[in-house]
Amino acid sequence: MANATQTKDQPTVRAARRGLSEGWFAWMLIAPALLFIAVIVAWPLLETIRLSFTDADMNSENWVGFANYEKMLQGAKFLEIIGRTFFWMVLSVGLKLIVGLIGATLLNAAIPGRALFRMMIMPPWVIPIAIGCIGWLWLYNGQFGFASGMAQRLGIIDGPFEFLAYKNSAFYAAIITDVWVGTPMVSLFFLAAMQGVSRDLYEAAWVDGAGRWYRFRRITIPQIMPVIVSMALLSAIWTFNSFEIIWIFTQGGPRGGTTTMIIDTYKTAIGNFKFGEGSARAVMIVLILGVFSLLYLKVLDRVNKHYGVK
Amino acid sequence: MATLNLQNITKSFGAAHVLHGIDLAIKDKEFIVFVGPSGCGKSTLLRIIAGLEAATAGQILIDGVDVSDAAPVDRGISMVFQSYALYPHLSIYENIAFPLRVQSLPETEVKAKVGKAAEILKLTDKLALKPGQLSGGQRQRVAIGRSIVRSPKIFLFDEPLSNLDAALRGDMRVELSQLHRELSATMVYVTHDQIEAMTMAHRIVVLNKGRIEQFGTPMELYHHPATKFVATFIGQPNMNLVQASVLGTTNGLTVEFSGGQRMTLPVDCTTATVGSLVDVGIRPENLMLGDGLSMTVRVVERLGGVAMTYGDMPDGTRICAALPGDTPVAEGAVVGLGLNVADAHVFDASGAVMRRLNAPTLVV
Repeated sequence: MANATQTKDQPTVRAARRGLSEGWFAWMLIAPALLFIAVIVAWPLLETIRLSFTDADMNSENWVGFANYEKMLQGAKFLEIIGRTFFWMVLSVGLKLIVGLIGATLLNAAIPGRALFRMMIMPPWVIPIAIGCIGWLWLYNGQFGFASGMAQRLGIIDGPFEFLAYKNSAFYAAIITDVWVGTPMVSLFFLAAMQGVSRDLYEAAWVDGAGRWYRFRRITIPQIMPVIVSMALLSAIWTFNSFEIIWIFTQGGPRGGTTTMIIDTYKTAIGNFKFGEGSARAVMIVLILGVFSLLYLKVLDRVNKHYGVK
Repeated sequence: MATLNLQNITKSFGAAHVLHGIDLAIKDKEFIVFVGPSGCGKSTLLRIIAGLEAATAGQILIDGVDVSDAAPVDRGISMVFQSYALYPHLSIYENIAFPLRVQSLPETEVKAKVGKAAEILKLTDKLALKPGQLSGGQRQRVAIGRSIVRSPKIFLFDEPLSNLDAALRGDMRVELSQLHRELSATMVYVTHDQIEAMTMAHRIVVLNKGRIEQFGTPMELYHHPATKFVATFIGQPNMNLVQASVLGTTNGLTVEFSGGQRMTLPVDCTTATVGSLVDVGIRPENLMLGDGLSMTVRVVERLGGVAMTYGDMPDGTRICAALPGDTPVAEGAVVGLGLNVADAHVFDASGAVMRRLNAPTLVV
């Protein structure tokens, strides 16, 4: 009679029987994933780095050393573009966090129809970004757009205003749309974190006389701080690389007013066929985002320790 | 200095009626324990007293003042939660100081009060740590410290020892009793553990299905359980219940067990009728080897001083006897069990007790 507690051989045991060492067996298991990463990530990255040291265009490709980097760093507009990219990122991420926090707080409140409201915040994130942008293009249209019409009605402007035709207004219009697209996910993450906060903490504070605002400041915010930091840093990386909205709205214009690093890279490499210079810009973005990623891991570790998350 | 009066408290969650007209008068400085099985409404009642739940009907009076509609903070109560409810991002000092920070008290006052509470609870050297760095018992002390600094009129405890291991629970029971003596405060304590109830309470409220079964001192509940529920709930191991039929009601209650054994039990049998069935309650510690009930031994647990002997009566009724540790009983043997008839409890068909006439005088 078979022993009821007998179990099947572990995979490593079976591998050993077939003459494979545990190390080789492990490599075999991760080989498909490694191959995938090598083809999809590592090879394009290495190729981009290689191209950045060449003057590759449609016709030729010659080794030029650091010339592309020197040209990029000495370029008159480069610092302006970097500054604009960081400003774009800080403003957009800041707004996403603030609006996301307010949204999550409202969605977390015990209000009737809460489930419906939770569903209603999803469309900006769910619908294809190009379709969302077409909607916003209509809103920003000077002749028959909602924004221009409303601004006129409120007496803010005298006549029709084409939001995407001017440097500043185009830049801020793109940010508003980016916030619209990015906020639902931030809200959902904050909401999930808020729902993870023990009800006992709030009740203990309530018994001690803490009001809503005090409880929000002293319990909710510190308890979800690891998620806030995570979202801030992840959102910063995504926003830094945000391409579609600006490209659909203005393609970096008017007069470069909405050109961020990613737009500049695309225009250089694909628009002007300067693959070498474009690759140098792409490598620069990778370096900046690499620093962000390291910062993310370090800061998150410290925040988790500080806020008592194991 | 606080009395607590509950008047006809009811609570319903939709169609579910959780509490049915609870009336209770708790004296100043009493240590009261609400005990009962899961779902009996004890925690709900505590939360209503705290103001965390609103009663469907009824009044709550603290020191004679109706606080039924008052916010928790205005009731002068503090509460210790089962989960400790400590703020993981704050130090132990700031956790204890939390209620004082809410009141915006000056730092010198906060420091003095936190220091005093920490001294009482032996937490002085832990104040800089975070809750995650403390053991379960220490965390529970921090939660108590947060209650103490507010100098509340009434302390409420919601199963505060449930998350601790057995040894630590024993230590904390002693510490809580000492704390009650030191603070001389009114305390209301919820537990499902009858040992906690028996060892700490001045008086115990036994709740069952949203109603008070009995309210009395631990020894009252032990010697004079008002109902079959209380009789089986209080006392460890549980009281044995053996069915018998009533043969006579003169000079005590004469009953006959299914095995044919007859006994005359000294109880108030004015409500008993000849021919009716009753449950005779016998505590395991009141049984001894001798003539009387017959039991086939199934299991013997020798605990040293006591041999917990479990078996079946001829009619299949399970019974337990706490015999002296070295009693020579073997599994499978048929033994006779005797008892002093004065120790027997009798419950009628409704579960109500027929009061024992020769019960021991209560010492507390």
